[in-house]
Amino acid sequence: MMTTKIKVAMVAAGLAASLMIGGAGPSLADEVTLRMAVPDWPPTRIMKKFFDEQYKPKSGNAVKLEVDFIPWPDFYTRVNASLTSGERKYNFIVSDSQWLGAFVEGGYFRKVNDLLEADPEFKKTFMDIHPSLLNAYSTYPYKSQNYYGFPQFPDVLVTYARKDVICDETEQKNFLAKYKKKLPCTGEEIDAMTWDDFRNVGEFFRRRKGEMLAGKPAEDDFYGIAVQAGKGYDFSSMQVNGLIWQMGGDIWDETKVPKGQAQGVVNSPAAVKALEKYLSLLEYMPPVAKTGTMDIFKTDELFREGKVAMNVNWIGLGEASLDPKISRVSDKLVFGMMPGTTGPDGKIVRWSNIGGQPFVLTTWTTDAQIKEAVEFVKWWLSSGIQHQFAAAGGQSGIKSVYSDPKYVAYRPWNRTWAPSLDWQKDVWHVPQFFELLTQQQDQFDRAITGKQNAKTTLDNIAKFQQNLLSEAGLIK
Amino acid sequence: MAADTSIWQRIGFRRSFGVAEAGWGRTLVVAGVSFVYFLPVLFIIFTAIKPQALALSVPPTLSPTSLFGLIPDQFVFTPTLENFSSVFSRVMTGGGQPEPTGFDRFFFNSIVIASASVLLALILGTLAAYGFSRYPLKGNDTYLFIILTTRMLPAIVVIIPVILMFRAVGLSGSYLGIILLYTAFNLAFTIWMMKSFFDELSTDVEDAARIDGSSGTRVFLKICLPQVVAGLAATFVFGLILTWNEFLFALLVTGPDTRTVPVAMNQAVSSGGRGTDWTLLAAIETLFLIPVFLVTFFLQEHLLRGVTFGTVRK
Amino acid sequence: MLVLPPVSVPSLRTSPTLLEISADNWRLASLVGVVVSALAVAALPADVAFWIVGALVALVAVAFVVNAYRRRYYGGLLVAPAIAVLFAMNIFPLLWSLGLSFFAYQSNRQSIWFVGLNNYIKVLTNDIAAADNWHALINTGMFVVLTVSAQMIVGFMLAMLFAKQFPLRKYLLILVLTPMMLSVVASGVFFTYYYDPTFGILSYAINSIAGGQFILMDSKAGAVAGIVFADAWMWSPFVMLLVLAGLVSVPKYLYEAAAIDRVSAWRRFWTITFPYIRGLLMLALLFRTIEAFKLADLVILLTKGGNDTMTISYHLIRIANEQNKTSEGAAISYIMLFMVIVLTNLYLYLANRRTRES
Repeated sequence: MMTTKIKVAMVAAGLAASLMIGGAGPSLADEVTLRMAVPDWPPTRIMKKFFDEQYKPKSGNAVKLEVDFIPWPDFYTRVNASLTSGERKYNFIVSDSQWLGAFVEGGYFRKVNDLLEADPEFKKTFMDIHPSLLNAYSTYPYKSQNYYGFPQFPDVLVTYARKDVICDETEQKNFLAKYKKKLPCTGEEIDAMTWDDFRNVGEFFRRRKGEMLAGKPAEDDFYGIAVQAGKGYDFSSMQVNGLIWQMGGDIWDETKVPKGQAQGVVNSPAAVKALEKYLSLLEYMPPVAKTGTMDIFKTDELFREGKVAMNVNWIGLGEASLDPKISRVSDKLVFGMMPGTTGPDGKIVRWSNIGGQPFVLTTWTTDAQIKEAVEFVKWWLSSGIQHQFAAAGGQSGIKSVYSDPKYVAYRPWNRTWAPSLDWQKDVWHVPQFFELLTQQQDQFDRAITGKQNAKTTLDNIAKFQQNLLSEAGLIK
Repeated sequence: MAADTSIWQRIGFRRSFGVAEAGWGRTLVVAGVSFVYFLPVLFIIFTAIKPQALALSVPPTLSPTSLFGLIPDQFVFTPTLENFSSVFSRVMTGGGQPEPTGFDRFFFNSIVIASASVLLALILGTLAAYGFSRYPLKGNDTYLFIILTTRMLPAIVVIIPVILMFRAVGLSGSYLGIILLYTAFNLAFTIWMMKSFFDELSTDVEDAARIDGSSGTRVFLKICLPQVVAGLAATFVFGLILTWNEFLFALLVTGPDTRTVPVAMNQAVSSGGRGTDWTLLAAIETLFLIPVFLVTFFLQEHLLRGVTFGTVRK
Repeated sequence: MLVLPPVSVPSLRTSPTLLEISADNWRLASLVGVVVSALAVAALPADVAFWIVGALVALVAVAFVVNAYRRRYYGGLLVAPAIAVLFAMNIFPLLWSLGLSFFAYQSNRQSIWFVGLNNYIKVLTNDIAAADNWHALINTGMFVVLTVSAQMIVGFMLAMLFAKQFPLRKYLLILVLTPMMLSVVASGVFFTYYYDPTFGILSYAINSIAGGQFILMDSKAGAVAGIVFADAWMWSPFVMLLVLAGLVSVPKYLYEAAAIDRVSAWRRFWTITFPYIRGLLMLALLFRTIEAFKLADLVILLTKGGNDTMTISYHLIRIANEQNKTSEGAAISYIMLFMVIVLTNLYLYLANRRTRES
């Protein structure tokens, strides 16, 4: 209450002062503050840094970007509570793509079609975003023409690998002898891997402490592969979905509402086979996989500490592996696309679940703020800034930026970026996503920890989804 | 204890504390047990002074010193203070310059918020406890029980109404808001503890003072309060420990300027686009432990006596 | 000696009748408050209604205070500030969510309608939702029994160690007290490290001695043991402190008398020591049980509820916060509250009965 009074007094004083000065001279520049809730990590820190150092608002107003850096583990809790309690605190929110439906339906996220229509230049930049990313980060219902978000940090899954181990001559020779196939060594060879090859790498590189590994006795138990298999958030669904799509199965498809079914689709024989393939990889992974806590951070940690030969993980975690201070393998890295599945035509099918986050505008943002917000987004998506962002370790979804030859040189994994994008699909955007996600994660966890088989798991998921989505009127 | 025995006797409190003496033999045994019990904390403290690269080494590095060759070299690391400086300033944008992390502010916030709310709870709670003890209301026990039930539900249940309320009255993100919230959070424990202290006091002296014409306020301040100093200390420490580490309310009702350490600590749990930064987390926790450790250490004597005095029936 | 009765100071004034307009007419103020609040909530937008209700609460409070002052209810006056804070910050939000539990309401939707007891029926009997709730409740019961008994036993044994005065006691005691001062986030995250099969100390030690690959958290028994151990380690010092306080308060002469009578150690404990620590044990039990019912943070950090370690409190966080099923969450929490209240009353009843017996 005190503070309010003081504020009132200050506003009054300010008014009086401006009245005295006012009249004479040009109108003073307005001060516009944009409040933004973001997870605390380099891509958002970089955004804020660029803004502070470089942003010059065209309107001449004094624009401030007030960024609330919230630690990742609590980001959803904080944002969700802020939105649903009606606090109306933030103008911009970094959101996972899955959250769109829930927060659009709640009336918190602002549709931006009108802003795009009003500004052809803006629309042109916006439409230059790769369609997979545009659909994932911006549309609700998924793949509709209703736009909400702008890419903040787009992300895909790639394969991290250790050159020193996979390119070793003895290992190469032994692998060839055992599997009649060359052990991948270069990035291009990793690109060409299927999940079966990946499995073989896992089986081949399982070494106990003291056994020979790349010409030296292994210092500790060594494992071939690591893939996310954790119960938390989406730390198994993001991987399993990709396998299901690659092998011809499907998840419940929200673009087919209301005809799309869960029962019979989610637990189709193809999907069951895909889940079985995923589960069959687990035995070649470090022992923590058996506990259901092998999330993306644990696989990253295992890889950086040199316990595994290959790891499938998000690009977003890549910077850490390059940092010699926290990575024992920083000078031994090679990156390729996520493994695929050979399709009927002999070509590799590479469907994968998209990662990364868009940022969105909230509905209570005032017109004055929106004007500045649009300018800010245009600036953020502009080629110059996107290039700087990518050079500092970010990724860009803008076609003209990532297809620039310079782009590939920014980071060792950037080579895989453009070809991966065509194969990205997203998980549900519907408001019920969190219920769908938790139940699915629980069920996958039961399968990962060996409590039930793939068929039962997918049957349970299908039954739950059919029931929930029918009740919600999304399946008729 | 001996030093202030006379005070206790003067106010009519007669109880000989029966602490038997034991020698160095007991010290050895207890030192062994305490050391083992303390090990997980010691490991965190050692992690705080470990070079970042050794945080996950296998075999785990356990000690900054080989203790004259007692500990094999593979378990020994060279200590560093670097982690403590990165609590306050470090590179946050991959390849950029070190930036302030805001932790000086978060530590300040934690200290201000925890001490203010525990003190406020102590003042209000002591008054209420005195009221409940000396002027029982009709249905006294029911009120006390209702007060206790406020501690029974997970915080998540009340959080939405609280946020709404805070927004309506402009308390969101302010010091006052979180302090009031923590005060309420501490009141139940404070009232229950302090009431039992007042219940145990002999009322003879108070009554005598009243007859001599002392006002109620004077009786409370000059006669009752000095007798429960130990209880106040004990309650303060318990309240401080609970408030110091509170997480959920702090996460949801503080803003960037009023954020406390337990919330900001998660910076190190998911740190800069990777998982846990073990050495940073350990350094934050070690620094964060110091104030509450010191307070507990210096109030330790009171703590023991306070709890005894208050809750054991005569 | 003349003893003043603590309460019954004779009233100086008579209470005002119900309809009399007077500053101390709390009955009228309450009546007006309830009626107008109900109307305001029903008819006006939430923002406006909030302030009206707030003003009426203040009005009623003023009436109560004036009434207490005029009639010298000092008890009421002393208690009032604490109750006011508790009411605003705790009881009022609790009542709010109690109200919500009778509506169909999701915090991220704009619609709300009255459904009576349906939420309660759903969380207790619905074939999909209820099974999870019951399961989580049973797990919680298991954790309450295991963690609280572990804390009581460890706390008790630690207290016995410290019950005598010996050199350096003060410094050793603070070492044992430290675990409860740690933030749960930090200690929980470090326990994931201690238990980690690749990097962790536990697996390293066991593997070095026994060979093979030890994984603690890959079964229900292991996961439960891991959580209970971490929780007991953190909170046993709390129990220890309370028990220790009881132990040091036993008058020395009682032991001396017992020594002369050659009473066995066992008997000496039950007849002399135990009566002094019983009250404190009960208090420790009460507070630890209440806290154990709320166990969620360690589960979230260590297992995410995997290996069948889901507790009702974590389940509630998922429902009420992650999935925004506010009223369903409120219903679950009130069922929880009911259980804790029954249990607490049982404790208090037993404690009081024992006290009366002795």
